[in-house]
Parts: sequence; structure tokens; C-alpha cells
Amino acid sequence: MTLLSNPTTPAGFRRPRTPAGSQVVKVLTTTDHKTIGLLYLVTSFFFFLAAGLMAMIMRAELAQPGLQVVSAEQYNQLFTMHGTVMMFLFAPPAAYGFANFIMPLQIGAPDMSFPRLNAFSYWLYLFGGLTVMAGFLTPEGAASFGWFAYAPLNSIIHSPQLGADLWIIGLLGAGLGTILGAVNFITTIITLRAPGMTMFRMPIFTWNILVTSILVLFAFPVITGAFFALLADRHLGALVYDAQNGGPILWQHLFWFFGHPEVYIVALPFFGVISEIIPVFSRKPMFGYKGLVFATIAIGALSLTVWAHHMYPTGAVLLPFFAFLSFLIAVPTGVKFFNWIGTMWRGQVTYETPMVFAVGFLVTFLLGGLTGVLLASPPIDFHVSDTYFVVAHFHYVLFGTVVFAFFGGVYYWFPKLTGRFLDERLGKAHFWTVFIGFHTTFLVQHWLGNEGMPRRYADYAPTDGFTALNTISTLGAFVLGASTLPFIYNVIVSYRRGPVAQGDDPWGFGNSLEWATSCPPPRHNFVTLPRIRSERPAFDLHYPEAAGRVDMHASPEFGASPETETKG
Amino acid sequence: MSPTPPSGRAPGARRPAGLRPLRVATALLLGAVALTGCDAREIYEASLSWGLPEPISEQGQNIYDLYLGSNAAAVVVGVFVLALILFATFRYRKRSDELPRQVRYNLPVEVLYTVVPFVIIAVLFYYTVLSQNYVNELTPEEELDGAVASGEVVNIGVVGFQWNWEFNYTDEDVRVIGETGRFAQLVVPTDTTIRFTNSSPDVIHSFWVPAMLFKRDVIPGRANTYEIVFNKTGEYIGRCAELCGEKHAFMNFSLKVVTPDEYRSYIDGLQADPNAAILTAPAGSSS
Amino acid sequence: MKVEAVLFAFFAVFLVPASIVYWVFSGDWTGTACLVMSILLAMMVAYYLWFTARRMEARPEDRPDAEISEGAGEVGFFAPHSWWPIALAASFTVTIVGLVIGPFLALIGFGLVVYTTLGLLFEYYVGMNRSQGHTLGQLRAMGEKPTSMHKFLGE
Repeated sequence: MTLLSNPTTPAGFRRPRTPAGSQVVKVLTTTDHKTIGLLYLVTSFFFFLAAGLMAMIMRAELAQPGLQVVSAEQYNQLFTMHGTVMMFLFAPPAAYGFANFIMPLQIGAPDMSFPRLNAFSYWLYLFGGLTVMAGFLTPEGAASFGWFAYAPLNSIIHSPQLGADLWIIGLLGAGLGTILGAVNFITTIITLRAPGMTMFRMPIFTWNILVTSILVLFAFPVITGAFFALLADRHLGALVYDAQNGGPILWQHLFWFFGHPEVYIVALPFFGVISEIIPVFSRKPMFGYKGLVFATIAIGALSLTVWAHHMYPTGAVLLPFFAFLSFLIAVPTGVKFFNWIGTMWRGQVTYETPMVFAVGFLVTFLLGGLTGVLLASPPIDFHVSDTYFVVAHFHYVLFGTVVFAFFGGVYYWFPKLTGRFLDERLGKAHFWTVFIGFHTTFLVQHWLGNEGMPRRYADYAPTDGFTALNTISTLGAFVLGASTLPFIYNVIVSYRRGPVAQGDDPWGFGNSLEWATSCPPPRHNFVTLPRIRSERPAFDLHYPEAAGRVDMHASPEFGASPETETKG
Repeated sequence: MSPTPPSGRAPGARRPAGLRPLRVATALLLGAVALTGCDAREIYEASLSWGLPEPISEQGQNIYDLYLGSNAAAVVVGVFVLALILFATFRYRKRSDELPRQVRYNLPVEVLYTVVPFVIIAVLFYYTVLSQNYVNELTPEEELDGAVASGEVVNIGVVGFQWNWEFNYTDEDVRVIGETGRFAQLVVPTDTTIRFTNSSPDVIHSFWVPAMLFKRDVIPGRANTYEIVFNKTGEYIGRCAELCGEKHAFMNFSLKVVTPDEYRSYIDGLQADPNAAILTAPAGSSS
Repeated sequence: MKVEAVLFAFFAVFLVPASIVYWVFSGDWTGTACLVMSILLAMMVAYYLWFTARRMEARPEDRPDAEISEGAGEVGFFAPHSWWPIALAASFTVTIVGLVIGPFLALIGFGLVVYTTLGLLFEYYVGMNRSQGHTLGQLRAMGEKPTSMHKFLGE
């Protein structure tokens, strides 16, 4: 198969007319990591829109005191499904979408190690996700016990509806897909790297995918087991989570042993995306590459030991242990911040849309991380836990990371994926509506939580004094909802008529290997591979005069002797 | 390249901003503060409490102070890092097509920005442990009976159920139960150690009075005990703070802090006539 | 491969003191069990990677001075397309939905899962696809000794 027969190459080649039916078959039977990556990205975006719509309905309800839009039970279903869809059906699959498409390109591999397993993981995700959403189609509605599904609220007595069962098994399916995907990523990174691509020359994004996948292996089996035990309780009369046996606390330990690594599973790939964007648009290498790798590994390891900071008000957990480790995890996260800023420092930075989203991420995640440090302290958490303060915190960190970096990544890699750029003006409009909408919605929620508004409340009284801030928050939510429109329009129009991406490296200063092959790449990714002598093989290829200077290949790598440091 | 002058700057280069504007700004700010007559403590609280209610208990005061201090540290760090981000964003915009110096690492800086955050969180952790130990302190078992007899400790049993509250004055053998559409009020005396014990017959709830700056979960099968000393009278709203089903948002309660004498007469009144329990109708909510 | 082994080993090494401290100060069976199982998982993978690395020469991707030409030749077998993944995913979904709808559906689903799993496994060993992948017989015929890597990557 040559480039000429590739039907998606733009510029000069008319796309041959393939019947729609064969396109469908091609998608249903694909084992190509690029197609599967695209499927993950598109599907996860649809779930994002669905969960976003749920959020807008919730915010519409909360704008004023009184139940105007939905009933209390429906409201409970909405926040449950909003959290579930975002945390299971949008964020990890979006991460997997980028990982699938980009990681094999970045390590110089022709595909993933297990292409059919890759496809299987995607279809499991899709079918599992649809099963979860099918709860809305049942008469009693979807699951309504919150995305953490605490026991005994999750029992058959307190949540008898079929939607709750569909929730559990849908997540079992999607979870299995996630685990198998992680296996695939780890195997690919270990076995399919190109010659010369040592571990410490891999791009940061690939490192983050590796650490994320390791966390998936630790965390997802625990929740899978917890779900099976829950099914046994609900349908086989088991008493695993029975209150007499300390069941509620058992469920919380199991859930959060999964749940905390889960938030890093969704965050780390997107930190990786940011770490790809900033060096390219600053025209400098990543600052402190090794430190960044070690910080990522530290975050991964620590994230396995902090789970019970979600359980402080239960009075049932070892407070100093979890407080100390939760404070500690702020240190490597802070290190990463300085790495990113240090990359921009003394650079020649341009602000195309990907970079604008990266800076938006830095500002937003900063605030979220700081409120996280406050929450790490049990006494403070005794007041703010389960309030809108926590809601504000996690939206700052999650939206700030996942959504800003998702959009940044889409704008950044769209030329690689399709051979065309997304429109810059629409991109900037998109960014500013997201930024303004997001901060309007969530900044005021810190005050709301501190003042005394608990989370998961369908309603509040006029005398509570929460009305003004809630109304502001709702206005912001609608701006945020509207912000998806320029993006969707941009994608649809640019896919066919966007400015054509010239050459392998349309942004001009790409570092990693995906920028050493065509836009889009051929079926098995590379016709030729450049020599790999640093963590920036594409940059070294395109700027050979910049390679080999004294401050270039600064740090010797593990396993390399000084003689093997290249002169370019 | 021309030799650099003794000042270290190449001739014709822009003079760096220096600290002078910063010193002027600080002086102006302090001057303004002094002129308003507000004491520093009030400004500190007003700017950092971010909606936190005034505490009504000793433990709450402790948490309040910890929050203010931690928030101050967070704001300082946040402003500093935000300034770095914004500075880098604007100062290093592309000016020419020259490739910048491809610096990959700087070990002293990297060590610094690893160690300094570590020191910051170590300090936060120290104060956290102090506060946590104080807030979670319980009267030792052996002293308990004596303390109850002498009136130093009052036992309150809190039962959260779907979807209201029951408050047991366990030493006095009276109780108050909320009904649908009517919330229960818990009456407690000031300057006494109130020893709460939470329990639930159905699902997890959470006993939270925002003015207490403290909540503790009410978990079936588990008795959670904690002690609070109130020091401010008044009526305060209480809320359930753990998702417990359909009417989770509709099981508010009320906490009334009174003097020990008023408490005594309230209890006597309850013992004489159990129906005298104060049940408040919810104000304006739609349940 | 040694770096990857150290990576997994690091997780195990970090979690050991964490688990000990946690167990001693909390006595919590749940958290300790989860931590210990994580240690065992990490150690298992680290062990496999370390000992595999010991038994082989440094691969081109582990050597900083490697040339691209050293990686020339067959990388592995990558199935070009397949119906079985979506079929298996659908069968699996039917089975687990059956767990809550009723045993009849779970049984049907289980049968489908077995069928589609076998279909996936033998896809490139039978029928018209037989020549596409490297069967073990073909490898032997070419004079190559099939290693576990061949089986892993090729099939």
C-alpha cells in the first residue's frame, strides 16, 4: 500500500468514492490503531456532550430555589450519570484515543502489539457505555446513587431499579476494555520501540501513558471485584456490604482504592498532552525531562496510597497516614508545573490554539491543585467535604486538565490525523468561551461550599442565601455549553475544507517521531524512520544544525556511556 | 561580541524593572491599611475566609484558624506561580526567528523547586496534625461517667434516617424526632463538652452544621463519636451531607445553642411533656 | 528492558514500607490487602521483565547508539482487519447483561463468548487466512525456532 492510494491524503488527490457500506465495514473490522484512536476520541466526545447536557439540566434546576425542571429523584440520576459518564466514559477513553493514535507513532512502531485486542477493548467500551446509559430508558430511570455508589445506598433494597444494575454491568464491560487497553499499551511500549528509542528518549506523552497503564492494572481489577461483590449482594443474597459486617466502610475502601488512582489515570495522559504542546510552541525542549519522568512515576506510586482522603469524615480511617501522603503528592505535581513554565522560559513562544489551551490549563489546574492541598488536611476537610467546595476543586483539576488538554490535543494533532488545520479564529473563540464559561461556573462554587451548601442537593431554600451564587454559576454553565458549538462547527468544516497541512511537520518545531511521517501517516505509520539520538528525533532531523551543541544533549542517559553521546 | 560593562548588562539593553516599584506598592498598601483603622486580623479573616461561617465552637475556631493559615499559604504560592506563568506567557512571546537556547535542565533550580514545596507541605502537615488531634480528642472512658454526673459532658445520640433526624438526650432519656415536612431541633448548652454519637438504621448520612465547621458521617453499623464545645449561642441550620436517596436535600435540621440554665429548663420541659420538642417547619423549601 | 523492570520494581519497593506502616497503624484489612496485592502484581511483572532482559542481548531499542537498519525485517504479525473483536465484545455484553436480566441470557451469552473467543484465537490459523500469519509450522519450515516473542507478537 503506497501513499498514493491512501484515500485520505488531501492536496492534489481526489478522494475516491468508496461506498458507504464498505466504510462501515472498514470501521467495524478495523484493527488499525489510528482508526481505533479516532473512534475512541469521537465516541468519548459524544459521551462528553451527553454528560454536559446533564450538567446543564442540573444547573438549570439549581439556578433558583424550588424544583422547576426535574424531580429530586431525576436530579439524583442526573448527577450520578454525569459523574459516571465523565469519569468512566469520557475521560479515560479520550485519553485512550490519544494514546492509541499517537503513542505508536511516537515510539516508531507500526501498530499496537495486539491490534485485535485493541479493537476488542474499544467495542467493549462502546457497548459497556451504551449499557450504562440504557438506564435512562428504563421505567424507573438510571442509577441514582452517585458515581461512587456508596453502600448501603447501592443495595437492592435502597436502589432496586434496573438502571442501577445496568450501571454496574456496563461499567464492568467498559472497565475490562480499559484493563485490556492498558495491557496493550504497556506491551507496545516495552516491545515495539524503534531502534535507538531508549526509555529515556521516549516522549513525555508516552511515559505518561505507560505510568497511566500501570495504574490501570492496579486500580481497575479492584473495582471490578467490588462490582462483582455488589452484584452478588444485590442478586444472590450475599452480605458482603452488609452494615453488620462493616460493609459500608469496606465498599468505600475498595471504591476509593480504585477511585483515587482513577483520577490520576485520567489526569496523567493529559499532562502528557500538555507536555507535548508546550515545547513545540516554545521552540525549546522539555525542561527537566528526567525530573518530569520521575515526578510522574512518583505521582503514580503515591496515588496508590492516598485513597482514604475521600473518607476523612467517616471517622474510620488512619488520618495522619493519608494526610501526609496526600500533602506529599502535591510536591511532584508542583515540580511538573515548574517544568512546564521552565520550558516556556526564555523560549520563542507563539500562541496558536493548542498553546492557548495549554496556558489555560496551567492557570486552571493551579487553582485546583491548591484547593486540593487544602482538602488534604483532615480538619479542613471536616468542614468542606461533600460540599460545593469539593465540587469546585475537582472540576478545576479535572476540567482544567482533561478538557483543556483534550481540546489542546485535538487542535494540535488534527493536522497529523487529517492533513488539515482547524481554523485558528474559531479555535480562539472556542478557547475564550470555554475559559470564561468555566471560571464563571466554578469559581463561585468555592464560596458556596464554604458557606454551607452540600453537594448533590437538588434544591435549596430561598432563606439559605445560596441563590445569587447559584444563578451566576448557572449562567457560566450555559456559556460553557455554548462553547462546544464553535468547536463542533470547526471540526466539521475543517475536516473537509481546512487549510492543508504541508509536509510532515506542519507546526514547524515538532519534537517526537509522529512529526517525521506524513499527515496523515500511511497504514503502518512510517515509510522511513530517522536516526534516533535524543528525546527529539523529529527536531534533530529537521534542525540538524541545532543538534550536538553543548547545551543540547545535556543529560547522559541511563545505560549510555559518554562515548555513545552523538555528535549529530 | 562587545565586552559586557561592569554592571553586567550589554550597552543599550533595557534596564530590568528591579524591586523599586514593588517596594512602593507595598508601602502604599500598608499605608492604606493603617488609614482605615481596621485591625490586621479582621482584614486577614475577611480576605481569606471565602465564605466560611463564623465558628460557634472551640473546635470550629481551631479549624477556622487552620483554614485561614492554609489559605494564606495557598494564596501566596498561587499568586507567585500565576505571576510566573503570566510573566513567561507575555515576556517570552516570539520576537525573532532565532532558535532560543535549547536548555534541557538546570539542576540547582530543579532541586530548589522540589525542596521548597516539600518544606511548605511539611509545615502544613505539622499544623494539620496538631489541629486534627485537638478536634478528634475524646474524654477518656474512665472519666466519662464522672464527667456526665458533674455536667461537664452531655451525651447526645444522633440518628440520621431516610429522611429526617432523631436526637436522643441519652443521659436524660428524652428525645426529639423530626417528621416529614417538619425538622427536628437539637438544643445544646454552651461551655459544656457535647459528646455526639452518630448512628443510622438505613444508609449513610452525614451530620453537618456549617457553623460548627465540622461534619461526621452517620454510618449504619458503626457508631461515630466526637466531642464539641460550643461557645456562641444562637440558632444554626444543619444539613445532611452524604447522599442518602431521594430526599437527601430535604432533611435539614436546626441546632440551637443556649446557656446551661436554658438547657436545663428545656430538658425539664421535655421530660415533663415529650411533645414540647421543637419541630420547625422548613422555611420556604418545596418538599 | 531493564529500565521497564526497574519501573515496576519501583512501585513494589515504594509500596512495601507504605503497606507495613499502614497495617501497623491502622489494622485495616481492606487497604492492606489491596496494597499487598499491588506489590505482588508489580513484583510479578518486574521479575518477568528483569529475567527476560537477562536472557537476551540488549535489543536495538535499548541501545542508545542503535541504527534504524538494525530493526529491519519482520517486526511481527499485525492482523489487518477482523470481525471477531466486535463480535466478542457484543457476546461479552450479552453475557453480563444476562447477569441482571436472567440466567437464560447469560448462558446464551456465554456460549457466544466461547464461540467468538475461539474464532478470534484461530482466525489466522484456519481457512483462507492460514497463510497470513506465521504459524509455528511455517516458522519451523523457515528454520527459525519460534520463541515466546514470536508467539506473542505474531499470533
